[in-house]
Amino acid sequence: MLKESVINELQRIVGKENVLTSPEALKAYSYDGTTSWIREPDVVVFPTTTQQISDLMKLANAEKIPVTPRGGGTNVSGGSVPWLGGIVLCTTKMNKILKIDKENLTATVEPGVVLQDLTLALAKEGLFFPPDPQSFLGATIGGIIAENAGGPACVKYGVTKQYVLGLEVVLPTGEIVNLGGRTLKNVVGYDLLHIFISSEGTLGVITRAELKLNPIPPAKKTTMVVYADVAKAGEGVFRVLENGVIPDKIELLDNWVINRIEEMMPMGLPKDADAVLLFECDGIPEAVEKETEKIVDIVKKYGAVDVRIAKDMDEANRYWLARRAGFAAVFGKAKTVFAEDVTVPRGKIPDLINKCKELAKKYNVEIVVLGHAGDGNLHPAILTDVSNQEHYGRAVKAMDEIIEEAVALGGVLSGEHGIGLEKQKFLKRQLDPVVIDMMKKIKALFDPNNIMNPGKIWE
Amino acid sequence: MEDLKELKKVEQHADQCMKCGFCSFFCPVYQEEKVETAVARGKNYLAKLAIKGEQKFTDELGEIIGKCLLCKRCVVNCPAKTQIDRVVVAARAEMVKNKGLGFVKNFAFRKVMANRKAFGNYVRLAKAFQWLLPKTEGNIRHLPDFLKALGQGRNIPEIAKTFLRDMVKPVYKPQDGKAPIMRVGFFMGCAVDFVYPELGMKFIDFMTKRGIEVVVPQEQSCCGAAIYFSGDFETGRMLADKNIEAFKDVDMIVTGCGTCSSTLKDYQKYLPDNPDQEKRYKDFEKKIKDSMEFIIDVMKVKPEELKLKKEFEGKTVTWHDPCHLIRYQNISAQPRAILKGLKGLKYVEMPNADLCCGMGGSFSVYHYDLTKKIAAKKMNGIKATGADIVVTACPGCMINLIDNVLQNKMPQKVYHLLELVE
Repeated sequence: MLKESVINELQRIVGKENVLTSPEALKAYSYDGTTSWIREPDVVVFPTTTQQISDLMKLANAEKIPVTPRGGGTNVSGGSVPWLGGIVLCTTKMNKILKIDKENLTATVEPGVVLQDLTLALAKEGLFFPPDPQSFLGATIGGIIAENAGGPACVKYGVTKQYVLGLEVVLPTGEIVNLGGRTLKNVVGYDLLHIFISSEGTLGVITRAELKLNPIPPAKKTTMVVYADVAKAGEGVFRVLENGVIPDKIELLDNWVINRIEEMMPMGLPKDADAVLLFECDGIPEAVEKETEKIVDIVKKYGAVDVRIAKDMDEANRYWLARRAGFAAVFGKAKTVFAEDVTVPRGKIPDLINKCKELAKKYNVEIVVLGHAGDGNLHPAILTDVSNQEHYGRAVKAMDEIIEEAVALGGVLSGEHGIGLEKQKFLKRQLDPVVIDMMKKIKALFDPNNIMNPGKIWE
Repeated sequence: MEDLKELKKVEQHADQCMKCGFCSFFCPVYQEEKVETAVARGKNYLAKLAIKGEQKFTDELGEIIGKCLLCKRCVVNCPAKTQIDRVVVAARAEMVKNKGLGFVKNFAFRKVMANRKAFGNYVRLAKAFQWLLPKTEGNIRHLPDFLKALGQGRNIPEIAKTFLRDMVKPVYKPQDGKAPIMRVGFFMGCAVDFVYPELGMKFIDFMTKRGIEVVVPQEQSCCGAAIYFSGDFETGRMLADKNIEAFKDVDMIVTGCGTCSSTLKDYQKYLPDNPDQEKRYKDFEKKIKDSMEFIIDVMKVKPEELKLKKEFEGKTVTWHDPCHLIRYQNISAQPRAILKGLKGLKYVEMPNADLCCGMGGSFSVYHYDLTKKIAAKKMNGIKATGADIVVTACPGCMINLIDNVLQNKMPQKVYHLLELVE
């Protein structure tokens, strides 16, 4: 419980209407997009200016009150759950697109801008922001940067960190700092900008961002490739890339997922396929045609049993809608789902898929595979039920071994979701103790009183 | 002891939510308020806690679950297909069981609206004092709303001099004197009965001109939308039974109000308390046709053969999708087919035609400021079309559209589609 004087002070800083303390409101800010990480804050505040956030952080720092930044709350790591209570600092009311600069291909935005709103505004100018986390309908820019979010288009375009030129940040001690700038090149001193990208809200509050944009490519083409063996699909991914084509997206759906999607909404996916790969090429029309032809040649050479080139936007949209429905299809079929986020070097995708199959047999659990195969970021999902102890125990063991295998294959335990609470217990398997110690020292430097999203990343 | 019967009936729907938060993008209320309690995910989470006994039926909870337009934009866009409307309505029913309805609603629902004759008299009473109100044009839907909305700067619709109930005959034969090609029951609905009687007469004339026999049972009641969507299931079931009884002699029931048609169809969805009720409500659902689907799908009217009223010739028209048509009944192609087919009209699609107008029945009474903000987005869509007239098929939407068009000093006139044709 916070002192009444603190609540009064918060109300003075952000205005009474922007402070929530009712038990119901606190419950509504106790969760994020995960199933099982739930903890209530003591108060939820909605600042509307950087200065308010600065004043708020000074207060919290003086009183040593935990502050958890939160935007749309769509993250899937437990990252925006207020694990030690205190203040949830919600940025959803700071949602202005301040500037779209066509000359320099940049946009200046507040942290609470929802990605889809940005995408729609940019599209009017013929521009786009390439990172495309699949939570785009609710995810806000502040969180996208703090989690260094990715998505399907990362095969060609990379992840969020490649599209942030500058940040305005309020430190846990209340100072307002500007990092990076507005230029593509910038080597002035240490690159502190990128410490905030994927900091998961533990180092400060992002209050403004300068984003790098691309012009919207004039043409797109989608190709669906059918495989009789999911591991062959995994091979198809790196064969296409090593033979010189870089599509903007390569996504994988396995047989189980295909069939659940077709049950939910028939999309014309091949129900007897062991897996399909969805390729999308974008660019100038001639190049897109040529690249698509080349993909067809390559995949046929390496074990594809069927290839369908979408003849129009309708067909292409249907395939991508099916892909987006993938997670809902999985979540709808089990009480509890471990949505894994392991990422391996692309050449190791078949190995990881085979391991998943083997573990599914070994522990007698359903493990389904879908995800951004193009960048090695698979999302093996384990279906279980937290209330069935025995089954849940087997699922946990299977997940453990998937992570073990991913790291052994030279991969990472999280590609785009972040560590948050969900993957804390695996951190030591990936990182050297010295590295974890360095991170803790950096954290202490920024946040001497450990008030900024405490309880996250390491145990 | 709370039995939580209504919430437990919808528990499986509440459990569908996987907390992805996509609903936030589609929720008109969240888009204005930007707080988690405004959006489906938050409401659903609190409802789930209530089922587990971890959330009491506090006034605050009542406020939170009350602040929903039931527009169903979240429902149709939910990747997990969570039927949040069922959860919200059931949670309201639990609130009513625990707390009772507020005085205004209690009086209006149980004493006035449930009793057709008393309601009529009450409206008459209000009518007698109409000289107190500014002169406006338009329509009224629910009397308590009408009374409560006073003093909020709202354009209050006028009440008809003679109600439809007092004009109609029990039976209308086909005008050509031949044997009827079909026989349907006409459900008036409060708005048409008390405010738009000429619209009701118009629809009856439209049907009898085309060989249909129309019966208008006097015992019919309010559809119950404002009542059971507010959580008063007891009165809702009583109205359902009254209407089922009133129309027991016909196989098809038509209405010109999108909210009424949806409400009558959905007794089976929200209200059943036992298998017998469920069966009767389901049988009743099969009889109901909204005017838009009736004209196109049942009467098979060819839009290009309809005659446009002279006053509308050369006008540019746009269509507003009522939530109760497009998302509750999947009716959106039929009215567009009519408007596009009518000779002499120019049809322009409005951006975000499916966006809720912000009315939400009694929502607009308790949250009028929010209604105006949501309606402002609708108004932007209308302005972008450059249309002369805005057409819809729900008197509820019409009230709100008229109010906001006037407040924004826009030139557009608002009509029910039936008003456009001969």
